[in-house]
Amino acid sequence: MITYEDQMSIFGLISKEISKNIECYAFGGTAMMFYGYKDETKDIDLLFEDEASGNEFVKVIKNLGFNEITLVNIYIPEKLRKKNVPRMFKREDSRFDIFFKKIFQTTISLRMKEDLYAVHDFKGKNSLRVNVLRKEFIVLLKAVTERDRDFEDILTIVKREKNFDWQYLIDEVLWQYKHGDSWVLLDAEKMIRELKKYVFVEEKYLKQLYAAG
Amino acid sequence: MNQEETLKTIEGLQTIETVAEALNIKKQSALNLLSKLKKQGYVATTGGRQQKRLYKITVRKQRKRNFGMFDIINKYSPTKLAPWYDHQVHGKYGPEEALIDAIQTQSFRVILASMRLFNHITNWSKLYKLAKEKDCWQKVGALYDVARLYFRAKKMPAYYLKCETEKWQRLTQLKKNNFPEIAKKWHVYIPFNEKDMGEAS
Repeated sequence: MITYEDQMSIFGLISKEISKNIECYAFGGTAMMFYGYKDETKDIDLLFEDEASGNEFVKVIKNLGFNEITLVNIYIPEKLRKKNVPRMFKREDSRFDIFFKKIFQTTISLRMKEDLYAVHDFKGKNSLRVNVLRKEFIVLLKAVTERDRDFEDILTIVKREKNFDWQYLIDEVLWQYKHGDSWVLLDAEKMIRELKKYVFVEEKYLKQLYAAG
Repeated sequence: MNQEETLKTIEGLQTIETVAEALNIKKQSALNLLSKLKKQGYVATTGGRQQKRLYKITVRKQRKRNFGMFDIINKYSPTKLAPWYDHQVHGKYGPEEALIDAIQTQSFRVILASMRLFNHITNWSKLYKLAKEKDCWQKVGALYDVARLYFRAKKMPAYYLKCETEKWQRLTQLKKNNFPEIAKKWHVYIPFNEKDMGEAS
């Protein structure tokens, strides 16, 4: 498992090794640790919009002893048949899940980019900028990735946040659907139905998904 | 009541009395509880001694923060900004870097507030190098010349005070004809008018 301190040290170390300025988006457990929802995570989830930056990042983590591993048993097989699957790198208990351009079919929308929760700049020889997505987007992307314990994390966020903006999440789901993500409606619907067993979610949000599909 | 529910009940700014009242417990029990939560990272305190102690309680752990662009601007500028995201820098960060980051936001208010940083720039060559990397030296030059008209600003060495390009740039989305001489010198559209500058000073 990777602790918050481990994560900050790894990012700091990477910033000293990269040969150019790099920007990426953090979601999943990484983003949850930046938020303070949890203290450790199985993996560091990052998305690179610029392929050259992603490749530079991969080169550096390989030099730090991370080896590429198979995605089987981590992601469900249906997801792995899609384009834009991640590349995974592991060293002992630490793992990086690196996505390029998209998270399966889900893109980083303009709203995701503009409405960030935090921006962490790690200054080494060059700068590594980690943009942390908003909690609603973290939940959405956890619904999309559907890995072991992703639902637990979703539940943690939704239970803890008094002001979780469901409409904001639904708007993003509908935007993603209109822009080519054919799975997002199903993923979001499945997540909300499951969540309704534990927390109160108004029916109107599900209705909006059904109306779109 | 488990810890999650307790945190939700007392989330926000509290005193020891309001915590005791909200949870219907004795003051000493409230103190013990807050001490435990503080060790876990859910509580930050301010005040004490002469002032009333206030407890900032959150349902998420409060991580130690590093300074970022908003912190530097708010430290030096009388115009305070409400950050819309949490910017933190892990590594060396000062007014030079903050000024360049402020220009990159293309935000009217952030750039206006950041003009006060010119009085705290000590390393002009660093500022020049950073601006050149981001292709915004002409914006820095234009802001400096405007800032000098209204605020105290450290003197920039003369050899930096030249525009090296003919290409016009915008500081924000606005394409205004304010401060025409400075705009023409640096080929930069300046969004602030005299009234804005007057309010900022």
